[in-house]
Amino acid sequence: MFSFIARRAGAAIGTLFLSSILVFLAVQALPGDVATQVLGKDATPDAVSALREKLKLDQPAWERYIDWIGGALHGDFGLSLVSGKAVGGEVGLYLGNSALIALVTVLFAVTGSIVLGILAGLYRDRWPDHLISTVSLIGMSVPEFVVATVLVLCFSVALPWFPAVVLYGPEASVGQLMPAVWLPALALAVVMAAYIVRMARTSVIDVMASEYVTTARLKGLSTWRVVTRHALPSALLPTLHVIALNVAWLAGGVAVVENVFNYPGIGKLMLASVQNRDLPVIQAIALISAVVYVVCNLAADLGAMALNPKLRTRGRTR
Amino acid sequence: MPDIHHPGRRSVLAAATAGAASLGASWLLTGCTGASAAPVLPTDTKGGTPDRGGTLRIARPPASDAETLDPASALSAYEYLGALYNRLVRVGANGDLVPDLAESWEPDAKARTWTFRLRAGVTFHDGRKLTSADAAYTLRHILAKETASPQAAVLAPLIDTKKLRTPDAHTLVVPLKTPNAEFPSLLTHYNCYVIPDGSARGIGRTGVGTGPFKLESFTPAGPGRITAYEDHWGGRPVLDAIDFYSVADMSARSNALLAGQVDLLSQTNLDFATARVVAASDRATIARVENAQWYVLPMLTTEKPFTDVRVRQAMKLAYDPEHVVKVALQGAGTAGWDNPVPPSDPAHITTHPEHDPEQARHLLRKAGHEGLTVDLYTSSYDPVFTPMALAYQDSAKRAGIRIRVKTASADSYYTQIWMKKPLMATYWYTGRPVDQLFTQVFRSGSSYNETAWSDKKFDALLDRARQETDDERRRELYGEAQTFVIEKGGAMTPMFADRLVGISRKVRGYAEHGFEFDYLGIGLKGA
Repeated sequence: MFSFIARRAGAAIGTLFLSSILVFLAVQALPGDVATQVLGKDATPDAVSALREKLKLDQPAWERYIDWIGGALHGDFGLSLVSGKAVGGEVGLYLGNSALIALVTVLFAVTGSIVLGILAGLYRDRWPDHLISTVSLIGMSVPEFVVATVLVLCFSVALPWFPAVVLYGPEASVGQLMPAVWLPALALAVVMAAYIVRMARTSVIDVMASEYVTTARLKGLSTWRVVTRHALPSALLPTLHVIALNVAWLAGGVAVVENVFNYPGIGKLMLASVQNRDLPVIQAIALISAVVYVVCNLAADLGAMALNPKLRTRGRTR
Repeated sequence: MPDIHHPGRRSVLAAATAGAASLGASWLLTGCTGASAAPVLPTDTKGGTPDRGGTLRIARPPASDAETLDPASALSAYEYLGALYNRLVRVGANGDLVPDLAESWEPDAKARTWTFRLRAGVTFHDGRKLTSADAAYTLRHILAKETASPQAAVLAPLIDTKKLRTPDAHTLVVPLKTPNAEFPSLLTHYNCYVIPDGSARGIGRTGVGTGPFKLESFTPAGPGRITAYEDHWGGRPVLDAIDFYSVADMSARSNALLAGQVDLLSQTNLDFATARVVAASDRATIARVENAQWYVLPMLTTEKPFTDVRVRQAMKLAYDPEHVVKVALQGAGTAGWDNPVPPSDPAHITTHPEHDPEQARHLLRKAGHEGLTVDLYTSSYDPVFTPMALAYQDSAKRAGIRIRVKTASADSYYTQIWMKKPLMATYWYTGRPVDQLFTQVFRSGSSYNETAWSDKKFDALLDRARQETDDERRRELYGEAQTFVIEKGGAMTPMFADRLVGISRKVRGYAEHGFEFDYLGIGLKGA
């Protein structure tokens, strides 16, 4: 079991290392020179070359990479080229706001979709299943900005229940942001839930057809008990991975949805930074996203192991 | 990057990020209003007087995280400037110069020295009295190297800052290096708002000016608030306060308006689909700023085939601007006929060559470019770019010109495409006085000379015009300059478009033209 964890952790670190290189290279490949983008069009050639030197853009790429990754390992992501503030703190501020959305989304999506998935599985091929499956298929097919726009039209414009956009800046308090969190979270949850619903439905169907469920039923246990005590844990297992992947997907989906709602989160910061060619900020955000992805996957693997005795003992039997 | 050119630097984000999003949004929104294809946009907003008091909420596109309230800076938060500050002179609704902080101004006989008489009894928000020293300081600040003001390029060749004189507290004397009868018009630029003497270090945060509102709070690229300045020399503004919010995404801005979270979308040219939805809403409507956007298809005169003046002429004769206005603007604008001086400018001339595809074909044959094929770059930066490019493509077909429309990324459009690709779509705001316009965009070597056109005869004509003290004669010379640009220059100007501004139905007294916004008169009904 220990060696399994060690292997998975090692792979995670390797993945992170590779992604840091990819992030660095991708950012270098952005069209437009940083120095000209930051200084604007009126910049004299002298000013541009001075800034290039200051930003160490005249050094070879690998040197800059080592500088950057060395700092990042110590939590130092450098200074923003635009605001001049420390990248770490700034990214942290926006990340916190996004985490608020992510948290609400995950709560909505995971609980809601597992319940719906189980219902669909239990009522296989009957009307609740058809309804849930159709709706989740639609949710899966429609891009998140369309869902977001429809939600705004319904719940901000037609029925003024929620704000259509956030008018506060990144320093807004949780209390100020709270009313604006629901619609973005709902939009993300709709898209995200679809996958989980379908996965949970399939798992439930598989498990309910298995021998031990039949045995449990023959023992005379109530359906409720069979489902909660016997079927559910096994049904959740394959769903875990889908949930993990979807949580990681949130990082990308959030960027689009945050712009529709002008929500001061990490996605909005990323787009602004790409626009300004604020390289240290882009790199930090991309690296953090990679970490989120890797950690989510690792957590899913370890969680699966905790739920599945077979995986837990695999190292020992061979 | 200069917002004078594309105030839309702010909206770049909108375009870049919205990309697909706004497309989806407008598609949805159009769906909601039914399939009416004909534009049913109101031509006039509600008149009537606003109630005194109230807070106006304005959504604006942020310039950048490095935004400042220093008017001279290239990164100034444009929407605050006119509310917080005043200039010496401004542009009236008919295009003429009118007094702002200067009550009067006159040149010497040769237009080499200009004397401005400042209004008495004007105070800054911190209580200090305005004197000529402040005006002189402002000019020095604009021209100082470390300010890096875009307007410095226009003023530096003219003003000798060392020779600025302030004979008394309300007189400013500006000696020029070369005579210029149009000099005061160059001070209407929005980099030229007057700031207090010695304030350069703090002005970007304090925003202390003489304008109708004083600063309460300001966050770069974030929210801010200004409140009525009771002691404003022109009287108190109608409103009690204005709240500014920065919203980068265009569809997010219109959603905020539709949901009643804001009252006005500044600096936004709505696309037609969104405009129709906004106009159909109970809460909001559309105000038009007539001929506010000057659309251009610049040809780089340093790149083949546009180095040949016959090719440039053919490109202009080949297309019908009326067709472009009809298709790309759905009629909401005026055909430009390749004259960059807007119809509202007193110096505007109406003569131009007629659309003539046969003549265009003939010119191309003579230049050895029969069946010319060229790439025309556009992006989602502005909603009109691509329709304009397609309309041009369609119209130029008759002259045997094949246009390949290429869409480039919006966020690097002004660093990678503008002034780099031989043919592309772009726009400016109108509202530049004629001398500023020609000096900035058409004179040899100017930093915004987007066609890289260089013609000594044109430059000499400009020099003659600005030195001419006889108004009538000067106007003729600027007319000749326009003919020159139409016949020889690299810029095609298909049209001037109305800007479609989203406002709440509660807003009264909204008035905007060029770079002028009436902060004194604007207010709300039922505030």
